Amino acid sequence: MVESNMNNNRRTFVAAIVAVAAGALATLTPLAVGVATFLSPLFRKHKNHHVRVALLSQVPDDGLPRYFPVLTDREDAWNRTPQQRVGAVYLVRSAGEAQPIAFTAKCPHAGCFIGTTSGADQFKCPCHTSTFRLDGSRVRGDEEVSPRDMDRLPLELRKINGENGLSVTEVWVEYIDFQTGHKQAIRTA
Amino acid sequence: MSRPIQTLVDWLDDRTGMRKLTRQALDERVPGGARWRYVWGSTLVVAFVTQAVTGLFLWMAYSPSTQTAWESVTYIQHEMTGGWLLRGIHHYMAHVMVLLLGLHLLQVVVDGAYRAPRELNFVLGLVLMLLVLGLALTGYLLPWDQKGYWATKVSTELASQTPVIGSALKSLAVGGTEYGHHTLTRFFAFHAGLLPTLLVLVLVLHVALFRRHGLHARDPNRAPDASFWPDQLLKDSVAALGVLTVVLTLTIYYGGAELSAPADPANPYAAARPETYFLFLFQFLKWFPGEAEVWGAIVIPSIVLAVLFLMPWIARSRGGHVKNVILLFCLIGGAAALTAQAIRDDYLASWTERTDANAEQFDASATFLAAKHQAQLEAERILELARAPEKIPPTGALTLMHEDPYLQGPKLFAQHCASCHNYVDPQHPDSQLSHLVNEKPTAPNLFGIGSRQWISGLLDPKKITSPHYFGYEGSPFVGDAENTEMVDFIQESLGEDIPEPQRKEIRAAFQKIAAALSAEAKLPLQDEIDRRDQETIAEGRALIEGDLADVLESGSSCTDCHSFGEMQDIGSPVLDGYMSRAWLIDFIRNPADERFYGEINDRMPAFAPHANARLNQLDEKSLGLIVDWLRGDWHRAGARR
Repeated sequence: MVESNMNNNRRTFVAAIVAVAAGALATLTPLAVGVATFLSPLFRKHKNHHVRVALLSQVPDDGLPRYFPVLTDREDAWNRTPQQRVGAVYLVRSAGEAQPIAFTAKCPHAGCFIGTTSGADQFKCPCHTSTFRLDGSRVRGDEEVSPRDMDRLPLELRKINGENGLSVTEVWVEYIDFQTGHKQAIRTA
Repeated sequence: MSRPIQTLVDWLDDRTGMRKLTRQALDERVPGGARWRYVWGSTLVVAFVTQAVTGLFLWMAYSPSTQTAWESVTYIQHEMTGGWLLRGIHHYMAHVMVLLLGLHLLQVVVDGAYRAPRELNFVLGLVLMLLVLGLALTGYLLPWDQKGYWATKVSTELASQTPVIGSALKSLAVGGTEYGHHTLTRFFAFHAGLLPTLLVLVLVLHVALFRRHGLHARDPNRAPDASFWPDQLLKDSVAALGVLTVVLTLTIYYGGAELSAPADPANPYAAARPETYFLFLFQFLKWFPGEAEVWGAIVIPSIVLAVLFLMPWIARSRGGHVKNVILLFCLIGGAAALTAQAIRDDYLASWTERTDANAEQFDASATFLAAKHQAQLEAERILELARAPEKIPPTGALTLMHEDPYLQGPKLFAQHCASCHNYVDPQHPDSQLSHLVNEKPTAPNLFGIGSRQWISGLLDPKKITSPHYFGYEGSPFVGDAENTEMVDFIQESLGEDIPEPQRKEIRAAFQKIAAALSAEAKLPLQDEIDRRDQETIAEGRALIEGDLADVLESGSSCTDCHSFGEMQDIGSPVLDGYMSRAWLIDFIRNPADERFYGEINDRMPAFAPHANARLNQLDEKSLGLIVDWLRGDWHRAGARR
């Protein structure tokens, strides 16, 4: 009798375990597969583009900011579209400088598009009103909502030769997406 | 009830027990009688049902991808019968729903309805609130317009600042590292699938627990008990109708929900703001400088939420309930004040004057208002293009935007031309393109170039020396400069010493020349008058080719200096095809070409002189867009593109 009860209990226990396990496996497997697909962006790396944004002759050394859209081949899931505008940079060349400074237009605070007007002496973010000088530094320093100065992009001048011995200088930048909200400029992974 | 129906109902009741279910559902006791203060929960259910119904029908016409989202929403809004109303109800009900949530929460806390045994139901209510806010957040992006795009960009950037998991959170929300198709598919799946499903599940639990514990009467002895059906339901239904009236009024007043221009990652949108119900969070962030941002964006909102969830247990302590009520009033009051402040900051410039004291705020507001206005114009324009007989190309509405001279011309002009040239209508200087006005131009005003009016000004002895033509700063064509032949010729031709009858004749000749020269431009806007004035144009051509010499005392004519028609190889700028599309494109390519100014060109850069495009400042497409815009050659409503 006792043995039979024990057998029954054991059977019930095993049945319960198997029922839960089988049920869980049956329902959770599709969920796990779905979640795995959902997580796929985590396994993708961000690609930074090296982009020709202007000719050096378009950036006179007058210290004024000039706006250039960033055009590059854009991959969006199943599409690849050549020469799409993926963002914008400001180039500023101070008097006597051979090389301009390149700023990304993305605000280090919350990622809005920093603006400037022709002849203006400041950059201004239209969202939370962060203000930057033309060298990218924050006007009110640490009082400003932006945690750091405007992000500079690595810039390279490339000479190319054309017909009749002509040579022009191109301005190339590495268009990096930086994380917002940190004191340091950290690249988006 | 007739017998067959009675039999059917009996049969159904036998199989389902529906009579008992219906009775259970409707016979809820309302202690102290039906009251208006109990309606908020029901109105929220009705609001949710409205969202589910309108959402389902929107879903039937919506297509989530970067090339179809804005396009399908535009189609719903402007082409489908009642589409604007459907979208409007969905949009404004979302606003009203957030407001109703606030009222429901307030009523529950003030009445102490969260106390034992209803703690868990209060927690479920807060979960429902978060789900509704999640729906609001995800829905905002779906039209893929500038407004939703930039606001969502900010919200996902803020999410990325969550400690430890922030970066992953953003990647998962965005569906990759850049905003695109998968951002839309994910947001849509959350908005129309996951969140509503969770909401329904939690709502069922919420209502079940509500029925289990019964209605929490604030004052049960106030009046005799009533029954939910029909006493309270009457009030609930009237309130629901009131809510719908508000939503319909808003929809009709604003002409439906707003839809700004299609999202463009490279097109700055200086009026990026979240929807009204999240404005307080937006404004709150302005209080947190530097790295403290994470406190404003994540930490403090999380703490506030945690406190809300703990309210039923806080209420157990001495004075806890009063503290909860005060805290909630402070929170809702604070959110309302922040919202009002955000709106005031943005619209300040529309009702005050700029002073030294408010200069910074005023300028920020003016920038916001200008950007909003500009975005509105862009939205109207893109709609005009989208509704042309050719419709939107498969590559999406952004293609239309990027290839439209009307939209791109001013931007390219500002970037490449405005530092020297002015662009302003001398007759109506307060144009919408005031940002293209150059107060100190060093080159001619290009407004209306090639038109009869513009050429008539060039042939006018006074106007030709104005800054709009050759009288700009440092001009090589006036005063003591080297190349004053043209200005001298015009001024001498109509000199003051010439008798009036003769002046009249010369003026008439100049008018004909203007008509002939302008006809060379083949401006689309002049097409009709050019065809009408064939005779005048022929006379004008003859005058240019030499007949003018018979009219002028000096015996000179245009072709003494310029090549034109039968008079070739004389000089430049060549007047054949003057200001036509091809002429202007070649001119901008290289103004120093011998067909144009040759060595006289002292300032204008050659924008695209090389066969190798990489050596040029301007690409072919931009060049065409600038020229088309300057010539007024863009699609107009009612015409084919």
